[in-house]
Amino acid sequence: MPDEARLAAADQPLVFRPKPERPPPTSSIGVLGWMRANLFSSVSNALLTLLGAYIAIVFFTAIINWALVDAVWEASNRRECLDRVGRAGACWPGVIAWIPNLLYGLYPKDQVWRINIAFLILVAWALPLWLPRVRSKVGIGLSAVLLYPFLASYFFHGGAKDLLWTALIALGMAAFAGVWLTTLSERATGLPFGAAIARLTGAPEDDEAATRTRARIAYAVLYLVAVGVTTQWSLSEVSTRYWGGLFLTLVISGFGITFSLPAGVMLALGRRSQMPFISLCSTAFIELFRSVPLITILFMFNTMLPLFLPVGVEVNRLVRAIVAVCLFAAAYMAEIVRGGLQAIPRGQYEAASAVGLGFWQSTALVIMPQALKIMIPTIVGNFIGLFKDTTLVSIIGLFDLLSMARAVGEDTTWLGLFLEPFFFITMIYFVFCFLMSQYSLNLERRLGAGQRR
Amino acid sequence: MSGATATLVPASTRTATPAVELIGVNKWFGHFHVLKDIDLRVAEGEKVVVCGPSGSGKSTMIRCVNQLEHQQEGRVVIHGRAFGESAQKDEEIRRDIGMVFQQFNLFPHMTVLENCTFALTWVKHLPKAEAEAIAMSLLERVHIPEQAKKYPLQLSGGQQQRVAIARALCMRPRIMLFDEPTSALDPEMINEVLEVMVELAESGMTMMVVTHEMGFARKVADRVIFMDQGEIVEDAPPDVFFANPRYDRTRLFLSQIL
Ligand SMILES: Nc1ncnc2c1ncn2[C@@H]1O[C@H](COP(=O)(O)OP(=O)(O)OP(=O)(O)O)[C@@H](O)[C@H]1O
Ligand SMILES: [Mg+2]
Repeated sequence: MPDEARLAAADQPLVFRPKPERPPPTSSIGVLGWMRANLFSSVSNALLTLLGAYIAIVFFTAIINWALVDAVWEASNRRECLDRVGRAGACWPGVIAWIPNLLYGLYPKDQVWRINIAFLILVAWALPLWLPRVRSKVGIGLSAVLLYPFLASYFFHGGAKDLLWTALIALGMAAFAGVWLTTLSERATGLPFGAAIARLTGAPEDDEAATRTRARIAYAVLYLVAVGVTTQWSLSEVSTRYWGGLFLTLVISGFGITFSLPAGVMLALGRRSQMPFISLCSTAFIELFRSVPLITILFMFNTMLPLFLPVGVEVNRLVRAIVAVCLFAAAYMAEIVRGGLQAIPRGQYEAASAVGLGFWQSTALVIMPQALKIMIPTIVGNFIGLFKDTTLVSIIGLFDLLSMARAVGEDTTWLGLFLEPFFFITMIYFVFCFLMSQYSLNLERRLGAGQRR
Repeated sequence: MSGATATLVPASTRTATPAVELIGVNKWFGHFHVLKDIDLRVAEGEKVVVCGPSGSGKSTMIRCVNQLEHQQEGRVVIHGRAFGESAQKDEEIRRDIGMVFQQFNLFPHMTVLENCTFALTWVKHLPKAEAEAIAMSLLERVHIPEQAKKYPLQLSGGQQQRVAIARALCMRPRIMLFDEPTSALDPEMINEVLEVMVELAESGMTMMVVTHEMGFARKVADRVIFMDQGEIVEDAPPDVFFANPRYDRTRLFLSQIL
């Protein structure tokens, strides 16, 4: 009888009851829990923690004492500083007096506003990229990279402009206006500027051809206005001889960074090309520039390029440096991009061509977005390296941030003041590089959202 | 279902011209002769299942049909139009052919919906709304409209493969190629994919399917082809193929997989 009962019970399926959730043990949560688990988990670990903390405290108090507590903030020359605190405290007045030069080099003081305005324009140009409800972000980003340099060049250099130059500057100006008009109209109506104008002037919503024509007319009018403004606009010439400091560093590395990525992509594609000639040329270029130190390339471009150019053609020293940096950076970027491309499975190309995409479309829309995403840390690492490498231009006589810092200690008033300016520019370099690397992390997180690998 | 899907291949476009013709196709990888004198015709609306041991050249052959691989000898003709005249024409011919891969090959950086609308926007230049309407109707056909906003890697293998089928169908192909569409799937997901393929077959699509799912072959195929060492050994209707194959090689293969 009991057997039968058991059999009957076995026919009934068992009911699964999940166990109730419990909170985690207290020792593993909170600051104390974390510290116990990670810093003081054993005697030797605790000793190491204490030793590390001791070294950090000694080191940082020394720096803070020197830089802040014992520092001199007001003095008219280095002698005064030394008399007051000796070498125990920093002598900041020298650095403060030199800040304009550290930032702008020998750029005329009454013209410095041009650099500031151009910088603000760049910020304003990029700002819509972070605004919600703006759709044309790719166009805005591309216009910033491709057209901002024309506008900025005129702000920086000024002087006479011929017809072509006028057209290009106007293009930059119109693009900037277009970016903001589009931003505003997209936030208000959801349509880009041209389409919004077309709608306002009465083009029916479903008539694409009419909308496109009117949008084109709107942009043409915008451009003509910009040309008109440009012809009326003139700034005094500031030769690149006077450019320097952080400004020059940013100009050179800005060009290097914006040029190296597209050029690197093209070189990487070239190297992988099926066409032997293109592949050979790309490979030769990459290997040549990668196997020579940047300093050598800078020297070569600076001293030897003029020998090869026809008499009378003179290329500005800054331009030579920028070209050298760009080519060098492009060669490095090419190999990074090639590495990224190799990580994309062949199936992606095949799927793209099976749905009817050609080579360029599948490269631009399927392969590159994926490859660039996995390459972000390496690319940004390379940008950071490039930013710091621009200090090398000082050897061909350009006054970048580093050379300006060195000049402080050669100033008769502040003779021998080297440590403080170097400390100051170290901070500047740190801030820039740190921001770049934080931005890269942020980008990675955002692009990685929703896609587990 | 079949009422709505029968319109996929309009009767008026059906002709006596074969959908796919491989004529004297030979291909080598280096010195290795992968495809040997392949002659094959697939009529419009016909379903052909291709099977054979690993390395026999099934994938290579089916990839020659849409020219993901290029043969060194012979011709590939689709609906009477031969590949190889110009790059432009090849692209056009290829648009008539959809392909589904063993590894799905979805674009991981796009949502499911974007995967489907992608070619419509960039190749056919359709407006976004229209492309999305087409994509949604096809996602419904493969029974996963609710996954449209997810990314491919958030889906199960079977769901991914159905998205891949929808993506291929978006371009309104007249021929569909499948290269082992269920081989990378866990057993319980195979059926959901096969089901979609059966429905597609019932709608009259011309299909070439490399698979070892013999149940599917029995149910759907008009012909079953057996390949070995780069050659087509056996080519017969399924009842003959399974009951009474002509070659010993086919019998051996069948005894191993059935
Ligand atoms: N790109 C390539 N380069 C060199 N050899 C290749 C290449 N692709 C395939 N092969 C070889 O060609 C032969 C046929 O390959 P294929 O992929 O067509 O076989 P298959 O019948 O599809 O096999 P499976 O069932 O394993 O998928 C194999 O021996 C393979 O090693
Ligand atoms: Mg295969």
